[in-house]
Amino acid sequence: MSLPDWAEPVLRYMLEVGLKGTLQIAAISLAGSLVIGVTLGTLLTIRFLPSRALIRFYIEVWRGLPILVTLFLVFFLLPVLNPRLEFDALISASIALTLWGSAQVAEATRGAVQSIPREQHEAASALGFGWVGRHTFVILPQALRRLLPPLVSLLVNIIQNSTIAQVIGAPELLESAERQVERLAAPTPIGIGEVKAFPIYATVMLIFFLISFPLTRLAAYLEKRLT
Amino acid sequence: MNIVAVTFDWSFLTENGDELLAGLRRTLEVSAIAIAGAFVIGLVLGAARAHRVPVVSQLAAIYVEIIRNTPILVQIFFLFFGLPQIGIILEPFTVAWLAVTIWGGAFNTENFRAGFEAVPHRFREAGFALGFGRLTTFLNVTLPIGGRIALPSSINTYISVVKNTSLMYVISYPELTTTALNINALTLQTVETFTTLAVTYLVIVWTMSASIRVVERHLALPEDAR
Repeated sequence: MSLPDWAEPVLRYMLEVGLKGTLQIAAISLAGSLVIGVTLGTLLTIRFLPSRALIRFYIEVWRGLPILVTLFLVFFLLPVLNPRLEFDALISASIALTLWGSAQVAEATRGAVQSIPREQHEAASALGFGWVGRHTFVILPQALRRLLPPLVSLLVNIIQNSTIAQVIGAPELLESAERQVERLAAPTPIGIGEVKAFPIYATVMLIFFLISFPLTRLAAYLEKRLT
Repeated sequence: MNIVAVTFDWSFLTENGDELLAGLRRTLEVSAIAIAGAFVIGLVLGAARAHRVPVVSQLAAIYVEIIRNTPILVQIFFLFFGLPQIGIILEPFTVAWLAVTIWGGAFNTENFRAGFEAVPHRFREAGFALGFGRLTTFLNVTLPIGGRIALPSSINTYISVVKNTSLMYVISYPELTTTALNINALTLQTVETFTTLAVTYLVIVWTMSASIRVVERHLALPEDAR
């Protein structure tokens, strides 16, 4: 079975431009979500009402909003509030996904940190650790084990949700596919004058499936091993 | 840093209120259809998965894996831009409710499967011992108990369904998000538009989240309700 002539350049563009953009957005968002989420989630376990209320509000807002609306807030509203807060499409999408992802991580981290027995805190304190040292060297390394399955699920969700960047034209997989559908619809020599939306969007689904399926399996496996 | 003074022009709401309410109505309409559809799909396929009904269970598993492992936005693109190429042309409204129903149904199948599987096997054996058939046992034992276990996670799926209707922006179906962006393009009242949009979604989502706790309390299994 050989591919038709038009398919090869389309696929190459989708992988070189599209998939690359998707992975870029996913990498930035995952890193951002982890740093902000683990920090906020750990701080949330401190029994100090104002800080807890503030972090709780952050979590509920970014978990509550549709990610597309968060993206519009970042892309359209921020520049109006302050001209310096104007970012290109790829960065805007990464910021929106980080806000959403960090809220998810914060909630998961809170649960994981609270699941560590009190004796661990006491033992660490007895060894002379302060709050920061206790959490960095004793509590969080143990909590991370519990955190791993939800983090793999989060990665899957971030990769899938990165497609919303298409809406503002960031070069990710779905956007690259749409550009190719439009190019092919143009008359020769630019395109072939035919609509190839069906096989191209089916391919996009396939690529996402090939990335997501092993990861969801991995998350399920890690979850099982934990219990 | 020069911070622009942010003011909220309240006349925005009186001038665009009707249009926004029409968009909100469509969001709720599409959500209601999808939630009902996802409930039925989840119930039937979840039961088939949990009881390993031959063929149906395997097909349901494939359906669930395809939907859960591909982005819903790509599914929407496929339905709206891909299908016309093979002669299936769907209205934006049809794609709007269909896409979130298919998506919610897949996640709900997993919710209900997990709920039904969490019902201890001895409960079903007790049903059989009382002379109930398979279906009667399911309706009288597995469904009331497993359904309650599945309830919180299924409401979370319904919340996601409501949020995902915002993606119908890409097919220009005039639900809340599309309406708000159209208004923004005309009025350039960006602060007012997006604040209103965000607050509206938060009110819907937070209300639904709060309902989980209420429903959980009311439907708690007697031995858990202590």
